[in-house]
Amino acid sequence: MNPTLLGFIKKELIQAVRDPRMKFILFVTPIIQMTLFGVAISNEVKNIRLAAFFDSKDTVLRDVYERSIAGGWFVPARVSGEDPFTLIQAGKADAVLVPPPGGFTRAVGRGDAQLQLLTDATNVLQAQAVENYLQSILRQTVRDDLRIIPPDPPIRFDVRVLFNPSLESSIFMVPGVMSMLMLMTTMILTNIAIVREKEIGTFEMLISAPVSRSEVIFGKTLPYVVIGMSNLPLILLVAVFVFRVPMRGSFLVLVGASFAFVCTTVAIGTLISTFCQNQQQASMAGFLFMFPAMMFSGLFFPIENIPAGIRWLATLDPLAHYLGLLRNILLKGGDAQYVGTHVTILAVMAVVSVIASFRRFRTTLQ
Amino acid sequence: MIRSFVWSRASAVARKEVFHILRDPFTLAFALVLPVVMILIYGTAIDFNVEGVALSVSDEDQSQSSRRLIDTFASSHYFFVQGAGSPAGADRDVTAERARAGLIIPPRFEKDLLAGRGAQAQVLLDGADNSTVGPVAGYLDSIQTIASKRIANFDPPQPYELRTRFLFNPELNSRWFVIPGLTVVVMAILSILLTALTVAREWENGSMELLLSTPVQPLEIIVGKLAPYAVLGILALLFVYVIARAVFGVPFVGNLAVFGLGCVLFLGTYLAQGLLISVVTRKQQIAMQFAFLSGLLPSNLLSGFIFPVTSMPVFFQYFTMILPARWFMTIARDTYLKGSRFLDMGGAFLALTFFCVAMILAATRRFKRDLEP
Repeated sequence: MNPTLLGFIKKELIQAVRDPRMKFILFVTPIIQMTLFGVAISNEVKNIRLAAFFDSKDTVLRDVYERSIAGGWFVPARVSGEDPFTLIQAGKADAVLVPPPGGFTRAVGRGDAQLQLLTDATNVLQAQAVENYLQSILRQTVRDDLRIIPPDPPIRFDVRVLFNPSLESSIFMVPGVMSMLMLMTTMILTNIAIVREKEIGTFEMLISAPVSRSEVIFGKTLPYVVIGMSNLPLILLVAVFVFRVPMRGSFLVLVGASFAFVCTTVAIGTLISTFCQNQQQASMAGFLFMFPAMMFSGLFFPIENIPAGIRWLATLDPLAHYLGLLRNILLKGGDAQYVGTHVTILAVMAVVSVIASFRRFRTTLQ
Repeated sequence: MIRSFVWSRASAVARKEVFHILRDPFTLAFALVLPVVMILIYGTAIDFNVEGVALSVSDEDQSQSSRRLIDTFASSHYFFVQGAGSPAGADRDVTAERARAGLIIPPRFEKDLLAGRGAQAQVLLDGADNSTVGPVAGYLDSIQTIASKRIANFDPPQPYELRTRFLFNPELNSRWFVIPGLTVVVMAILSILLTALTVAREWENGSMELLLSTPVQPLEIIVGKLAPYAVLGILALLFVYVIARAVFGVPFVGNLAVFGLGCVLFLGTYLAQGLLISVVTRKQQIAMQFAFLSGLLPSNLLSGFIFPVTSMPVFFQYFTMILPARWFMTIARDTYLKGSRFLDMGGAFLALTFFCVAMILAATRRFKRDLEP
């Protein structure tokens, strides 16, 4: 290997980890964050505060309420004979069940019962979950208590959830958090490392030194590819051993896909740095890139729903490709065609960014 | 060294900071334009009501009933039907991400149906994609009911009915849900970034030493540095508010003054947090790392923006209390959509006030300590 380049990489690596706080940021915080977010966030809605208005004779509704609490999704709301709307508005309950006059039990006997559910829909996802939960609890309670067994529908679906049959939240979330952490470290580091030298003027010195432009660019960026890749085993260990995320695909394919991703983020970081004059700008530009990248990654909301006019934003998002790759390789074993396509897309992005950075450097240097 | 706080000195620091901002149009544009652009893009893009899910269908029955079942899926708008040669083909399509769900109709489907034995079709869901699997599973119930009615004329009387009233967002509009929350997330990280580098930059280029040799007090520096950015932040929030109301039609039923108070406290807290990072790290590179670590992921994932705090494990329901974004998330959603009274949100306001004061004091104290050799 070119000795100039090697020296460059060595210097850059030493400089990056010289500050003990930087070592902490690079090698400890990813593990902490993985654990934190993996445990904390889930798609399942729980601890919904439920209130129900029923009198002593309304046995079915009382049973619905008690089963809801016992089932674990709901907790009792502390209420005292208030108007259901104000209860929810004042934030004392998330959902309230209101029976028809005379009680729900008698109304079902008459055959035209309407049970009203009021629910706080400021969180749309939670509101839908509440309705689904109560619907199924209600069906079971009526069946068990009143022996009203509705006939089975003639067409039934046998639903199989592939790859994550028990819908374990951490199995969804952990690959998402993994991809975000890989993005954050590499992107910020590369971007700021270059801009810092520009700001304090050492970059000018480099240019006047007898090194070629490609030596400067690769010397400044390859170390961050190394650092980014050194993060992979750390967070992968947490994913597999702490969160029991299955590792169904080949480890080598995963390393290859991650390498492509890290190269892409480092290359984009380099390209962004050519537009920034100081570190303040670099940090904002980093945010400008990373926040949309996270939003369009597919972890927060389905990419399928994005209107066609701005769908291209998601296609340009390296994080979306990497999250897709992680899920495909870890959970589905890795489909050769899918992995091939998306690794190629990442590689193309990396190459385009590198070429663009070269051009930018040439114009800014003259 | 207890000397009194002098406004003129604080305002001199503020004036200098204003010049600094004005000289760097990039920062100015970033602070004012970025939130607006983000709200416009995500307001358009984000929709939780999944539609057009690619469904890979393997029809081994090839009967009138099976075709009508497929048609029921297709006409629901929830699904986009594509053919798979065999049951294994449907499975492969889901594995290779060519489809999000599979439908396998077995050869005896119509026979079973006509014989009254009840016909079963298998549905495969992609458990690797959290954002679609839940909603799609929810649609299946209603498709089962509709298909039974259309194909087999099955429409039994229902002895009861659950009537749901979705309060504050009756049509379950994703935008109403997302935009107030998105404002909180964007402004949180933006505020930290605006201030995180300012003091660190002055340490690095030596102008801080200069500032310290003047009679300016730490609190005056902190307040002077915060004020201009707070004005920027309030302007940005105002723009976002106008867009949320005018472009996306998000209702605002609460008290605007209450919301405004929340905005000021929230901005103050995060701007001060940025300053604290700056004072502690003294190096822009590390300040930036800390800013992203403490701002980007926590405010996105732990504030209740999309994943409700109440659904988290008990430890995290308490742990997230140290996140100002969590409290402002409550205030933003409740004032926009619910019209909650100030007293109903007392806890959130108390917490925000506490964090705002605590952050400013912490930054000042740290600063003082740094001055002594």
